[in-house]
Amino acid sequence: MSNASPQPVRGAIVEEELQLTLVELCQACHVSEQHVITWVIEGALEVVGDVPQDWRFTGPSLRRAKLALWLTRDLEINPPGVALALDLLDDIAALQARLQRFAAS
Amino acid sequence: MKFKDYYETFGLPRTASQDEIKRAYRKLARKYHPDVSKDPNAESRFKELGEAYAVLKDPEKRAAYDQVGSQWKSGQDFQPPPGWDAEFGHSGRGTDAGEDLDQSDFFEALFGRQARETRQSNEHARGEDQHAKVMIDLIDAYRGAQRGISLRTPMRDAQGHVVMRERRLDVSIPKGIRAGQHLRLAGQGQPGYGKGLAGDLFLEIGFNPHPQFRVDGRDVFLDLPLAPWEAALGCSIPVPTPEGTLQLTIPAGSAAGRQLRMKGKGIPGDPSGDLYALLRIVLPPAGSENEKAAYRAMAKAFDFNARPFMRGDPP
Repeated sequence: MSNASPQPVRGAIVEEELQLTLVELCQACHVSEQHVITWVIEGALEVVGDVPQDWRFTGPSLRRAKLALWLTRDLEINPPGVALALDLLDDIAALQARLQRFAAS
Repeated sequence: MKFKDYYETFGLPRTASQDEIKRAYRKLARKYHPDVSKDPNAESRFKELGEAYAVLKDPEKRAAYDQVGSQWKSGQDFQPPPGWDAEFGHSGRGTDAGEDLDQSDFFEALFGRQARETRQSNEHARGEDQHAKVMIDLIDAYRGAQRGISLRTPMRDAQGHVVMRERRLDVSIPKGIRAGQHLRLAGQGQPGYGKGLAGDLFLEIGFNPHPQFRVDGRDVFLDLPLAPWEAALGCSIPVPTPEGTLQLTIPAGSAAGRQLRMKGKGIPGDPSGDLYALLRIVLPPAGSENEKAAYRAMAKAFDFNARPFMRGDPP
């Protein structure tokens, strides 16, 4: 069975065009609100807005939340550890990007 | 469908304890997580690990797997034994929420239905959001593109049974998208339960490696080899860009390692990225007598010390 539509499906770029609510981020990552709230409090995720109902997640939040879930669930890292690991991974990614500017891998 | 030896995935014997399985998983998962690993096969390896762990970490699933598993070897053709569904899967424990739905046919045959039936307990729930990764070429980010992807999605057949189906979807890739970004396709995730809405589909974008261009955010880099005289005297040469060839002026006296920026020639956006040519100087080999003579003439013509900062005298 194929239900390919004649018109290609258009999407929105999460990192540029969308601001995810707490509920949307939780649905996207299959994670509980309590997890996300803890990550925000520990600084693993950045957020715009004062109270959880008004929170908006932008930029790299989706990627970071997916990674935070893996670190939490599979490696059993606690929230401050998750925040540290995410920051270190970002630093390493930035360094590797700089490195590969200069040298073909 | 081939039988998968989940113990082999971890390099463990069937007698391994739960702790050993956990340790082996964590060690390998740290090594192969796509955000951590540079291994080209990290993505698929990590998926295999996740699937094997989902089964072996759960004593109930592990027991069920061991029961069938004792009769097969890795890679052998496999069919679930008759009556499999009746024997197993009534505990109401499916795969954890959040586990990737993108499992192998083998996993699906053993544990898929059970997992989905657990999820259906809520009558009119919204369908789950789904994730997939799509690899595009750099040029697709410059021009925008259309990509056909296939997804495995549970659907209801005529008898109302939920079965896994391949679903093809043509996706419009917007111009200016970058590696690591996600596209959200509203309503293209798992179908809703009852009157529930469908979930969304999140597509992570990756770039196929390119032999010539490297990408950092919106900026694109390429190595530009020059002959010594081109770098010394300056020249105008054709340079490949993802969008076609550009004539680039190399200023006289360009040193190796210098980066020439072609403003706005990176990945389009607001602002567009830049394209950088990283100059390399290639030394022509002195093979023939003529070529050697040319080098000797150079040596004579130049009052040049390649090592002005090094003293020949021992300290």
